Amino acid sequence: MYAYIIRRLWQMIPTLLGVVLLVFILFNFVGGDPAYVLAGKISSAEQIENIRRQLGVDQPYYVQLWIFIKQVVTGDFGASWSTNEPVSQIILTRLGPSLMILIPWLIISTLIAIGLALAVAYVRGSLTDRAVMIVCTVGLSISILVYIIVFQYFFAYKLGWFPVQGWGNGFWENLVVYSSLPIIILLVVSIAPELRLYRTFVLDEVNQDYVRTARAKGVSENRIMWVHVLRNASIPIITNVMATLPGLLIGAFLIESFFSIPGIGREVLLAVNRSDFPVIKAITIYVAVATMVFNLLADLTYKAVDPRVQLK
Amino acid sequence: MPRVAVANNPAAPRRRRAAALLCALTLALAALPSSAADMNKVVRHVFPVAEEGFDPQAAHDLYSGSVEQVIFETLLTYDYLARPARIVPLTAAALPEVTDEGKTYLIRLKKGIHFTPDPAFKGQQRELVAADYAYSIKRLFDPKLRSPWTWLLDGKIVGLDEAAAAAKQSGKFDYDAKIAGLEVVDRYTLRIRLKQPDYNLPYLLAHEPLSAVAREVVEAYGDAGGRVMANPVGTGPYMLAKWVRSSKIFLEANPDFRGFVWDFAPGSDPEDARIVAQMKGKQMPQVGRVEISIMEEDQSRLLAFQNDELDLMNLEGPLAPKVMNGAALTPDLQKQGVKLSRFVDPEITYHYWNMLDPVVGGLATEKIALRRAMAMAYDVDEEIRVVRNGQAVEATFPVPPGVVGHDPNYRGIVKYDPAEANALLDKFGYRKGADGWRTLPDGKPLLIRYASRPDSLGRQQDEMWKKAFDSIAIRMEVQKDKFPELLKLEKQCKLQMRTASWIADYPDGDNFMQLLYGKNSYQSNNGCAVIPEFDTRYERAQRLPAGPERDQLYREMARIAEVYAPWRLDISRYRNMLVQPRVLGYKKHPVLHSEWQYIDIDTAKQGG
Repeated sequence: MYAYIIRRLWQMIPTLLGVVLLVFILFNFVGGDPAYVLAGKISSAEQIENIRRQLGVDQPYYVQLWIFIKQVVTGDFGASWSTNEPVSQIILTRLGPSLMILIPWLIISTLIAIGLALAVAYVRGSLTDRAVMIVCTVGLSISILVYIIVFQYFFAYKLGWFPVQGWGNGFWENLVVYSSLPIIILLVVSIAPELRLYRTFVLDEVNQDYVRTARAKGVSENRIMWVHVLRNASIPIITNVMATLPGLLIGAFLIESFFSIPGIGREVLLAVNRSDFPVIKAITIYVAVATMVFNLLADLTYKAVDPRVQLK
Repeated sequence: MPRVAVANNPAAPRRRRAAALLCALTLALAALPSSAADMNKVVRHVFPVAEEGFDPQAAHDLYSGSVEQVIFETLLTYDYLARPARIVPLTAAALPEVTDEGKTYLIRLKKGIHFTPDPAFKGQQRELVAADYAYSIKRLFDPKLRSPWTWLLDGKIVGLDEAAAAAKQSGKFDYDAKIAGLEVVDRYTLRIRLKQPDYNLPYLLAHEPLSAVAREVVEAYGDAGGRVMANPVGTGPYMLAKWVRSSKIFLEANPDFRGFVWDFAPGSDPEDARIVAQMKGKQMPQVGRVEISIMEEDQSRLLAFQNDELDLMNLEGPLAPKVMNGAALTPDLQKQGVKLSRFVDPEITYHYWNMLDPVVGGLATEKIALRRAMAMAYDVDEEIRVVRNGQAVEATFPVPPGVVGHDPNYRGIVKYDPAEANALLDKFGYRKGADGWRTLPDGKPLLIRYASRPDSLGRQQDEMWKKAFDSIAIRMEVQKDKFPELLKLEKQCKLQMRTASWIADYPDGDNFMQLLYGKNSYQSNNGCAVIPEFDTRYERAQRLPAGPERDQLYREMARIAEVYAPWRLDISRYRNMLVQPRVLGYKKHPVLHSEWQYIDIDTAKQGG
């Protein structure tokens, strides 16, 4: 097992190098020159060159790439080009609000989707199953933007159940007052696709021989579904949940923008609009690392859930 | 003997202590700030774009400037109600004494203005002095700081450019070196010597990049480039209380601010009388706290305002149809008592052509004809109606309303007339080919590349121009690029055609006429237009104070611009500020970014 983990960690290095190269190429050839934005309304070529020199974008590409690699190794991405705020501080201060929305959402969404998936799989083919699937398909077809606009208008503005936007100072105030509506919107958006997916995983299992055997032995339906079926369906579910986890670290762009939540998703949008490469670099790299780490964790969890799984 | 008698009197020490206490109390009371701000009075404002930081010489976005304007102070400022905007002293004791035919400015500061206490001052009360302004001006030229505002004084002050050049050589700006044009005459007097007469200097002295910062603060908090974005310490009416970057900015009234009595004279606007009645004689600032939220989304801003979560909000174009009927608010908002502060912004939007481009550029007759035809094919009225939701007026004069030098009686010669445009193209040899599209006079294909941003406004403008080009049978393709890339190509004069905007840095016509000055090519002259007739008049106008002689030159320059058509003037947008009923005395100023220090809040109607 340890050998497996060490091998997987080693494998991350070439993947990370690939990400570094891709980000570097995209920024330098698609991203635009930040010096012209930073130079202000009127600037001379000399001033622009001065800015380029200070940012280091006048260096040959191989030098810039080497600096980038050193930043990845040391974890020090310097300061934002537009605000001079240290990048580490940007990430640390923006991560909290994003996680406050996304962690409750992920837990609630996963639990609801699994519960509903087991329920509709149990009554598969019935009117209830079909109705739920139709609702899911309709729900899937609607953009998150529509949900945000409609929910913000009706539940926050018209009915006054939630604040229209904002972020407070205390943990509970933020969680209960300001995060509730964003979490509800994310749940509405995410449960439909997850439910369909998990239902398929469950259906794959309910037709297996071991389920038939359990029924023949008189095991209760509850135990069959929640213990036997769920355990076997959990590997693809874990894969799906683990694949979602790195997304938590880049926040929910639209939700954060519409509800004025000072999260990392909003910061990413801002950095892209400002061509703020240090921030873009740092966030891309740490999401890439998180993805690889969560993939590894997923594999390790398979083993814990199903001892038959061999880690090679 | 009396001394002995006093010493022997047992009550004497008590009396002395009492006298000392009384004296200290009197001094303390005298030293108390005159600020009348009530911390229960809160103004909640919204920015649609995140701020950069609060270093007046380093940050360059409008929203950072709005905050800087109340934390820091310039020598001069604008009268709150006077229109067109009028310069008045702020920390200066009076307006500058101008001598040497506009080349020398002598400015005397008010005494007893102090910076907000800060550890950078090591427990000492720090008075604002002339050297602070000299230092702040020098910062604009420090290459390490890479100020986006250098251009304001570039090439103007005697010795300053040379100091900047020396700093580039040595890698360090010598702030202690004497600069001939920036003379600190005494503790409270600053003399500025210019290379050329410049009657616009007072406007620059009222612009927030020329606010005073304290050298100790920069040395204490400056980053590697010497920028102090997060620790603003000024002398203004407010100070930064809390800052959640890109999300919330909390300002509190500066308890050490000297205050002022609201005493502005009403102008011709009938609204002014009501404002004066509400505010006259009040000790300012009244508002104790300013809470600024950053909300990027239009819907969020509007719902937050309608939900009483905001007191002031700038209504951008796309939102206007939701709450406005033409120039007035919808009846439901009027019923709620919401007020509208509305005026034409001191800005112009224009479509320019690259004068260095082999297809559309140059001063040859057929090139001028091509540009004029394109200008005539564009329907500005339709743009105002469809794209701008009626929230703009057509710009016919390069200097917009509200700016010194604007001529409301000027009649432009460029009109929407596709038939005339087609006739002009026919006349100058831009014939239609077999495919129905026009060619160049030499028979080569004619294709215009219109550059725009990949956003909704950019797409609407693409469609407007496509329609215009179709009406004169000219092929058009859209060049889509992100803003930084467009800016780069524009500064290199590599875009063939684009729509650009310019908002007044200071309310003088020079700030707009310079957009076509040949020597500003590769800088603010987007199309790199070099038109000798225009340039000679511009240089003459620069040496003149505002007045009939300069106005005449501006009219001639406006006509020259129409004749050579390096641009097609488009529109000036309305500024619509929504104001909750509890806000008293609010009137949007055309140049000042923030008005919080001039307004009051009716606490009986304070919002939630």
